[in-house]
Amino acid sequence: MLFNSLEFFVFLPLSLLLYAVLPVERRTAGLLLASYVFYGATRPANLAYLGAVTLAVWGCGWALGRTVREPLRRLLLAAGLVAVLGSLFAFKFYDFAAGEVERLAHSAVSLPRLGLAAPAGYSFYAFSAAAFLVDVFVRRLPGEQGPARVALYLAFFPKILAGPIERATTFLPQVSAGLRADPARLVLGLQMIGWGLFKKVAIADNLAPIVDKSFGIAAFASPFDLLVSVYFFAFQIYCDFSGYTDIALGVALLFGLRLMENFRRPYLSRSTSEFWGERWHISLGKWFRDYLYLPLGGSRAGPLRTYLNLMLVFLVSGLWHAGLGYGVGWTFLVWGALNGAYQWGGLATRPLWRWAGERLPRVRDSAVLRTIRALFTFHLIAVSWVFFRAKSIGDAWLILEKIATHLAEMPSLITRYPFTTAHYTGLALVALLVGIEILDERRPVFQRLSAAPVVVRWGLYYLAIFALLVLGRWQAREFIYMQF
Amino acid sequence: MKRLGRSALLFTAIGLAIYAGVYWGAERLVYRAGHGNPFFKIATAREVTFDWVILGASHAMPLDFDDFNARMERDLGLRILNLAAPGAGPLYNRFVLEGFLREHRGRNLLYVVDSFAFYSRTWNEDRFADAKLLRRTPLQAATARSLRDYVRHEGVDVRAALDYVTGFSKVSNPERFQRDAWEGEAQFDQVLRPSTSAVKKRIGYLYPEQTSPRALERYLGVLASLVELAQREGMRVVVVKTPVPPGYRSQLPGEAAFDEAVARLLAKHQVLLHDFSGSLGEPRFYFDSDHLNRAGLTEFLARDLRAVLESGRAR
Repeated sequence: MLFNSLEFFVFLPLSLLLYAVLPVERRTAGLLLASYVFYGATRPANLAYLGAVTLAVWGCGWALGRTVREPLRRLLLAAGLVAVLGSLFAFKFYDFAAGEVERLAHSAVSLPRLGLAAPAGYSFYAFSAAAFLVDVFVRRLPGEQGPARVALYLAFFPKILAGPIERATTFLPQVSAGLRADPARLVLGLQMIGWGLFKKVAIADNLAPIVDKSFGIAAFASPFDLLVSVYFFAFQIYCDFSGYTDIALGVALLFGLRLMENFRRPYLSRSTSEFWGERWHISLGKWFRDYLYLPLGGSRAGPLRTYLNLMLVFLVSGLWHAGLGYGVGWTFLVWGALNGAYQWGGLATRPLWRWAGERLPRVRDSAVLRTIRALFTFHLIAVSWVFFRAKSIGDAWLILEKIATHLAEMPSLITRYPFTTAHYTGLALVALLVGIEILDERRPVFQRLSAAPVVVRWGLYYLAIFALLVLGRWQAREFIYMQF
Repeated sequence: MKRLGRSALLFTAIGLAIYAGVYWGAERLVYRAGHGNPFFKIATAREVTFDWVILGASHAMPLDFDDFNARMERDLGLRILNLAAPGAGPLYNRFVLEGFLREHRGRNLLYVVDSFAFYSRTWNEDRFADAKLLRRTPLQAATARSLRDYVRHEGVDVRAALDYVTGFSKVSNPERFQRDAWEGEAQFDQVLRPSTSAVKKRIGYLYPEQTSPRALERYLGVLASLVELAQREGMRVVVVKTPVPPGYRSQLPGEAAFDEAVARLLAKHQVLLHDFSGSLGEPRFYFDSDHLNRAGLTEFLARDLRAVLESGRAR
């Protein structure tokens, strides 16, 4: 079920009604039922995968909680992680890897295929499951959780398809405290749902046709077409994914649950490390930090290991992203490597920046330099998105090459380019987004709204709702990040 | 809590009032940018009686591209209303015919038949929910009632009726200011460059499911009811298969079985069937894998269709 479908707009009020009429002690079960209906609505077989992961995680967690001997606990953890992450790896890559092996062997070998269509959201709840197991293992979390609570942690419908990759350490205490809707959170929840829908349906889905067209025929598209599409894709993927997250967070608030922030105006980042570490897909970044980067030694094991650890994290992140909407291919590994290389660059130049900043503090803190750094970071990220979106490494390289070789001609091409209404609409929406994000960076827009007089507030609500209706593309286009 | 409830009610009421205004504006745009939608044509047709009403899917649409319908009317001295719609199977066509008969009368019905439209609900029940059709269909109480009946009795998705009544597709139409023209119309003067891959892709698109006898039986039944409806209203029915390129015709799945079944059904209803599908073989007569271009249509009219249409006047 998609957040931008009619089914969801029927399902959500019904779920809220069920939630409201149930006594507090039954709400976990009610919410679990609603989550299973949501997840199984499109493909009932999805529930089998979710059920298997839930059983494995709950069982391992329970055993970990009851076992004292460390070797046995390690074995249990390893078994749980292999089951959860191994299946994720197999679903994502086995068929692709088998194909690549056959291709390299010039079809001299023939390998069997799994041919399994893994369910939507598997990448997300598999990571949540792994986090749960590790947290129980390191005793951040008691292992003996009730099965319904563990099941709800994995299945909670706002987050199951595309995150955030919530931690059990923050989610389960909220469930234990008793699920109660908080009227103060209702308005914020509705505001977030509205803003998320606007980002997805009005911005991302209006940019998508332009992007799809150029990336689909990269060899024949003009350099300016490609340049426009590269810029638009950066905003499409941001609005698609963060729009989903905003809706997820908003819906969770309607049920009185607070999920972790996943995006914080990422294109205002002044470095790629800030982008990945603090602003883009924060829940995944923190997952990698806590469950991969730090266990590998992080930055405490010497400079060489730091560089290696960083690259490894980004390569794994590339692998994790494979299959999210744009198939499985080597492009994701290149995308990960490129972002890893950006981190290397940032790390290597950090002493230089520090040195310069100390000598020229006014320049360092100036708005001009901040803007230049944000623009530079945005362009680095936009280049990496080309590998994320392109059909192959060859296509990605072709796109970048075509743009680079015609860069000097771009200003003159702008005047001759046959811009359409779709381009102007896309541009206006992106400008609106950037404007709102800049305002939000200074003081949260939802706070500003709450402080505004009721006439202004309602006027803005109506404007937003009708802009969503009039500009939105409501043909239920899937969210990019939930397609695995 | 009471205050919050009152505020919510007031907010909703104001919102609904604004929506009504936006809906009204969107409905006006349907008339301003209207062109190809069959219900738009019915609503804006000046004549009460037509000599010919044309129904069918996209193969019948070129007959109304550019000035072709006006030319036929002028040359033949007949009033012709083309109500074909892209991808429309017999169920949607019957819905259109019912809409036509509520406001107009016709002497003859020309049904352009295509086998693909008889093998999948994609071209029948699902067509009712297509936003591209809904956003150009003017709001009328009778059409809404008819659509409700199709939801109740024919398995049409309730979302189609909801969308139609609430005008959601019209309000959110991204092409609201553009003329409602099917993309094929822009290629009407072009010439096909034959491509087997294009034909294969097209066939795959038109026949999304296997050619099942059950589906065929269901939609032939719908065609029979359409024919009976027209005959009850005093219309003579003629069914034709328009020319298609040989490379396309040879790839159609289950065509012989379809031809046989449709001929049997039409014979039972004393309806004439003209199969012109093999009459124009040269690629220069088509603008894409299977649609006649201006030259093809001119040739088809001169060779075959003129006689069929003139037979309508002779009654």
